[in-house]
Amino acid sequence: MDSQRLIRKMGVILALFLLIISIGVPLLLIFWQSVYPDQHFDWLAPLRTIAGHELSGVLLQSIWLGVCVVAGSTILALPLAWMMAKTRLGQHRWVDVILMIPFMTPPYIGSMGWILFMQKGGYLQQWLPGAAKWSDSFFSFGGMVLIMSLHLFPFLYLLLRDALIRIGGNLEEAGAVHGASAGYRFRKIILPLLLSSYGMGAMLVFVKTIAEFGTPATFGRRIGYYVMTSEIHKYISSWPIDFGKATSLASVLLSVCLVMWYMQSTISRKFTYRLVGGKGQRSKRYSLRGSKGALCALYIGLLLILSVGIPYFSVIVASLMKLRGAGLSLDNLTLDHYKELLSWGSVSQKALGNSLGLSLAASTVAVLLGTGFALVIGKSQGRMQRVIDLLSLLPNTVPGIVIVVGLILLWNAPWMPVTLYNTYGMVVLTYVVLFLPYTVQYVKASFTQIDGTLFQAGQVFGGGPLLILRRILLPLIMPGMLAGWIMTFTIASRELVGSLLILPPSMQTSATYIFAQFEQGQVSLGMAMAVVSVGMTVLLLLLVEAMNSKRKWNAS
Amino acid sequence: MSQWKLRKKSAVLLLASVMSLSLFGCGNAPSGDSAAKPAQDTGKASASGSTQAGGKLVLYSAGPQKLADNIVSGFEAKTGVKVEMFQGTTGKILARMEAEKSNPVADVVILASLPSAQALKADGLTLPYPEAANADKLNKDWSDAEGNYFSTSASALGIVYNTNLVSAPPQSWADLGLPEWKDAVNIPDPTLSGSALDFITGYLSVKGETGWKLFEDYKANGTAMAGANQEALDPVITGAKSLVAAGVDYMAYSAKAKGEPLDIVYPEEGTVVSPRPAAILKSSPNVDNAKAFIDYLLSDEAQKLVADAYLIPGREDVEAEGRTNLKDIPVFKVDWAWMNEHGDETAARFSEVFK
Repeated sequence: MDSQRLIRKMGVILALFLLIISIGVPLLLIFWQSVYPDQHFDWLAPLRTIAGHELSGVLLQSIWLGVCVVAGSTILALPLAWMMAKTRLGQHRWVDVILMIPFMTPPYIGSMGWILFMQKGGYLQQWLPGAAKWSDSFFSFGGMVLIMSLHLFPFLYLLLRDALIRIGGNLEEAGAVHGASAGYRFRKIILPLLLSSYGMGAMLVFVKTIAEFGTPATFGRRIGYYVMTSEIHKYISSWPIDFGKATSLASVLLSVCLVMWYMQSTISRKFTYRLVGGKGQRSKRYSLRGSKGALCALYIGLLLILSVGIPYFSVIVASLMKLRGAGLSLDNLTLDHYKELLSWGSVSQKALGNSLGLSLAASTVAVLLGTGFALVIGKSQGRMQRVIDLLSLLPNTVPGIVIVVGLILLWNAPWMPVTLYNTYGMVVLTYVVLFLPYTVQYVKASFTQIDGTLFQAGQVFGGGPLLILRRILLPLIMPGMLAGWIMTFTIASRELVGSLLILPPSMQTSATYIFAQFEQGQVSLGMAMAVVSVGMTVLLLLLVEAMNSKRKWNAS
Repeated sequence: MSQWKLRKKSAVLLLASVMSLSLFGCGNAPSGDSAAKPAQDTGKASASGSTQAGGKLVLYSAGPQKLADNIVSGFEAKTGVKVEMFQGTTGKILARMEAEKSNPVADVVILASLPSAQALKADGLTLPYPEAANADKLNKDWSDAEGNYFSTSASALGIVYNTNLVSAPPQSWADLGLPEWKDAVNIPDPTLSGSALDFITGYLSVKGETGWKLFEDYKANGTAMAGANQEALDPVITGAKSLVAAGVDYMAYSAKAKGEPLDIVYPEEGTVVSPRPAAILKSSPNVDNAKAFIDYLLSDEAQKLVADAYLIPGREDVEAEGRTNLKDIPVFKVDWAWMNEHGDETAARFSEVFK
């Protein structure tokens, strides 16, 4: 028993050390720059920056956007999660893969797709000239919430669906046996059990929204809706560069996110239940017939059209156009851009290879580390564990660009003995740091719901730690790990902000390639690249899904 | 540009708090460089894998990528030096330099905005190269007499319009404020587009405080501030907007050459030409290659490549191709010194007007 405790303690210290090096120190360096702007120490510098720039309105706009997008994605995700977890529709695994597409799409591409579709003279109006009225009402705050919700709801959906599957059928059946109506069962059984996962997902969505840059930069600018990230990016990427001000704003954003994190962790602690016990469980799947089934199918279909169909229609059409000024017509379509893109040895083909290699490496490392951290955090509420929890979450609460600048400040410092900056390793490190929270969150969500009696049972029957790890723990947290890996891979393969700053010169990924094409006015070529790289990611995920199709999850 | 200096100092002190030795390294540039070099070279060797006889050059370049690619391959063919290029907007390049300032890797930068190059010089970040071949043939107003930066190409700003939507293009800047063009005009964001900032500050340096009325009229007429140059231009190509005010001409010319329904007018009252300066950085680890690169940029061969990209060649003795020559563009008598000093505040005030 003692040796186990020692191992646990060692694990905690190791995790703490790794996190401090990779996340704590870079953020401290950034923070240091914001309170040390003028050769003397000044705690109030960040506050003065904010007061001096009338940014409170912008901050409120950020928070309001976050709240609305959380509401929007809940409305989208909750019914879908229920359908996929509790009805026969859940057998259609391909829906999951398609729903990952919004994620793989760089947010600015998705927004561009919507803009091209809805704008004056856009694809919709070329079909239906009468749609001009919709265009005006679409280019508004509501449209922005819609676009961002459609982009982010898969986060929430995946968490909710997994939670619903874990709840299983027997609890609900028990309720039904005791005469509870469907609404009452939902309120008294499902809802409390879901709250912990929902809180986590809602926080992720909120934080992603207020840290998001692509949509505010494309759509938000167009409707004049400014948020904190646009201000931060202004200081970091346009003349005059001022990291001090940017970091001041980033620390405000960070504080907002920390408050959210605190609220969420309080709720989670209150509503965490042990759902996965030793008793076998089976999930109850409703078979939907008639109008109910049609309604569900319609809902999923509509969601797919909105989240994938429309943006990708625009993206694909734009990638096929000979002349962008000539409009939709068959003789204006060409495959030349794809030919140019995929010609062997071209810059674009190398960029695709780089993206694939980098995200494979990063997602694998991130899953291994993240699982370790999640297990160390475990269920205990010790101070050390909570610090680890917080640190491993931080990258999700700070705009990516801030972390990246911190990493550069640290790894490119003259006193740093290891030269990592401007190498392949630095890019992998950045991706791992940026996307670590996903694995931690997903594995933690699986792990906290495992009843400790399972491990005790394993020990009673003489299983050593390794056997318990292999036969009990790993199979139970596998879905979480897989979800983390998939998430990291898909997001890393489209990461833009960090890549722009951190890639060694002469090296491109598909995302920076797309961005460069937009900057250069080769919109069609950029859109073609988006289609190809998302297509590749989808194929890879289908492969993983096929290998995983015999889910061991409910088999026990 | 004193902010830059202050930040530099604060960074030095920051490092000092971690390791006091590095203070000397930063205070004294040459010794700092030699200290940083070995570490850098090992990092490079592992990144690129091979070292050629001609050595290498790290270039940070803003502007059209095709042109940069052509220039790089021309230079590589001529000298055997391997070029590693980072391509981005002026803002991204400056941000990258800022992030790397404690351990710089770039040798040469090409920016799309003259005031930024002037600021680099003022902060002592550039390495003078007055002996550059052909430097005497450059436009004097755009390049540094002491050889700190060389404007090897330039673009002019005009009114770019969609020929499907606009049959009689406006002939003066003020026309864009007329009801005829309500909600139909884009203007690039001067905090993202160096050339747009050059136009606005240039216009104000000629018209004085009354010049602001033009931009206030634009705003009142529904003109939208729309990102960097290409983001402002794309809606005009697709027909969502009709015109770009202060649009960069070479983008319009190359889109037009592709067959897009675009054209450009330069208002007769005058416009601003935005030079694109190249500079060697003081921290350059490969000074000889950097000098050779500047020489190449000024050579007949590279200037021809510039002309092929529809830009105005920096050398006055090279003709532009497929576009209006510099001498045929009506130009304001702008005050570059005033523009350099008032860039930040103008950009901030412009953003306020358009918010």
